[in-house]
Amino acid sequence: MKTPLDEKRIFALLSQVIDPEIGCNIVDLGLVYGVQISEPKIVVRMTLTTPGCPMHETIVHAVQLVLLRIEGIEEVEVELVWDPPWNPEMMSALGREHVGLIDGQ
Amino acid sequence: MQIQLANLSSRTIAPPAPGRAAAGPDIFAWTNRRGIFLPLTFILSAISWLFLGLALLAVRPEILASYHYNQYVIATTHVFTLGWITSVIMGATYQLVPVALQAKLHSVRLAWVQLGLHVIGVGGLVWNFWRWDMTKVSAFGCVLTVGAALFVYNVGRTIAKTRSWNPVAIAIAAALAWFSATVLAGLAIAVGKAGGSNFFAPLAQMHAHAHLGVIGFFLMIIVGVSLKLVPMFALSEIQNNRRATLSLVLLNAGLAMLALTILFQAIAKPLAVLIVLVGLGLYLVEMRAILRARKRRVLDLALKTFLAGLALLVPTAVVGLLLSWPTVPLNEITGRFENAYGLLAIVGVVTLAIVGMLHKILPFLIWYGAYSTEIGRSKVPTLADLYSARLQRVGLAVFGCGLGLTMAGTVLADETVVRVACVVLSASFVLFAVNVLKMLRHLVHPQTQPL
Repeated sequence: MKTPLDEKRIFALLSQVIDPEIGCNIVDLGLVYGVQISEPKIVVRMTLTTPGCPMHETIVHAVQLVLLRIEGIEEVEVELVWDPPWNPEMMSALGREHVGLIDGQ
Repeated sequence: MQIQLANLSSRTIAPPAPGRAAAGPDIFAWTNRRGIFLPLTFILSAISWLFLGLALLAVRPEILASYHYNQYVIATTHVFTLGWITSVIMGATYQLVPVALQAKLHSVRLAWVQLGLHVIGVGGLVWNFWRWDMTKVSAFGCVLTVGAALFVYNVGRTIAKTRSWNPVAIAIAAALAWFSATVLAGLAIAVGKAGGSNFFAPLAQMHAHAHLGVIGFFLMIIVGVSLKLVPMFALSEIQNNRRATLSLVLLNAGLAMLALTILFQAIAKPLAVLIVLVGLGLYLVEMRAILRARKRRVLDLALKTFLAGLALLVPTAVVGLLLSWPTVPLNEITGRFENAYGLLAIVGVVTLAIVGMLHKILPFLIWYGAYSTEIGRSKVPTLADLYSARLQRVGLAVFGCGLGLTMAGTVLADETVVRVACVVLSASFVLFAVNVLKMLRHLVHPQTQPL
């Protein structure tokens, strides 16, 4: 039986994608702003820690690859946005602890 | 909360056709692998030159432990400046300028041609300096100059694509201009010596040539790249664009004045040094502000190594200012401190900054070649997993001892100390080379695990 597709499952899959420079997955880093599911297409709104990140294409490509593994998904669109800009408050507690970021307070 | 979106990039891909993924590396993989070989070849050739330079110093320690300019001093200096530092900068520039300015490199093919000319030019130049055949030095200098012109043209065309002239672009453009001036000045000196005619005092023109290269090219490129990479790695941003730009204006104006006052042996030389120092001071204040505003609390060792190189700018600048004073006599002691000044600049500031940045650039290049197509398909290592942090720490400590010993041996003019120091320095670079090999291993044997 096909597993129902929801945000939780998408985020779980996206947490398999790491930012190799920081060494943390993109979900705990707070880079994923939202997902929109309209099968057979998924739209991911996300950002990067800095504009001009050399890992830009690699991370976007990885997001697409990891979601295309879902049965029934034929298209993945990644909207890379810079507004609002990423800041450490967007990280999970696990992410903050993992990469040693200042809280931004 | 409604998120306001500014969509800068929107891409879609379709899933691969059944069986296609198993057919071998896809185009993305091939492009990634091919793209890393140009900077990697420059960097690996630079590391070979570094070991040759250290071997020469260990075999002939009098090169550093004496104050006379001779053919061996000049040959060895060019092994370090052209072979080691310039080759690294060229490779890193081909990699980083497109990243820093978000513009595609004008021509990869031209860069490969330039690599060939650079290797032939440097090899011929160094060998003929050693033999003191100035006619052949001039000939190989011409080969090097053609290569340098291709480098400047290629990177210049890439910079021209940039939409905004920020401090990073200004610094890189200035570095290219000073690099051209350095190469042309060097060629003019060589041709003048081969033909037996020089317009300026020989020592003055050599000093001017050296300062154009070290401050104009090496330091300027370090300043430019650091204004992009330090904020990027520390998760920060430039805090004051005007301050950063003013520091560049002062550095460039001061250097132009310094080169002329050295060449004409003018009394205003300390004033030119002061202008350079104010520019450097402003740059260091900006770097401090960038670091204070960083979001990443823990700086890694690579960034700390780079910053240690920048910190050495302070003693180097102080020695430079003292040596520029008109009343300083031209005697043996001054000569020893001139050697120490050059050593601190080339092996201290520039090499330390380069080694720091190489621990960022090399893992990135190799990771990109080995894993950028695997991420999302399998569990891949992070950049830090590619090499040993312990080897890096020990290497840095050994380098510090080696640099201190080399400085002591140079100031005391003690050949034994210089020889031991060069062995210690070489040991630190052997550790670095082991780490490079550990990284390269990932290109041959990628270490992925199922997701």
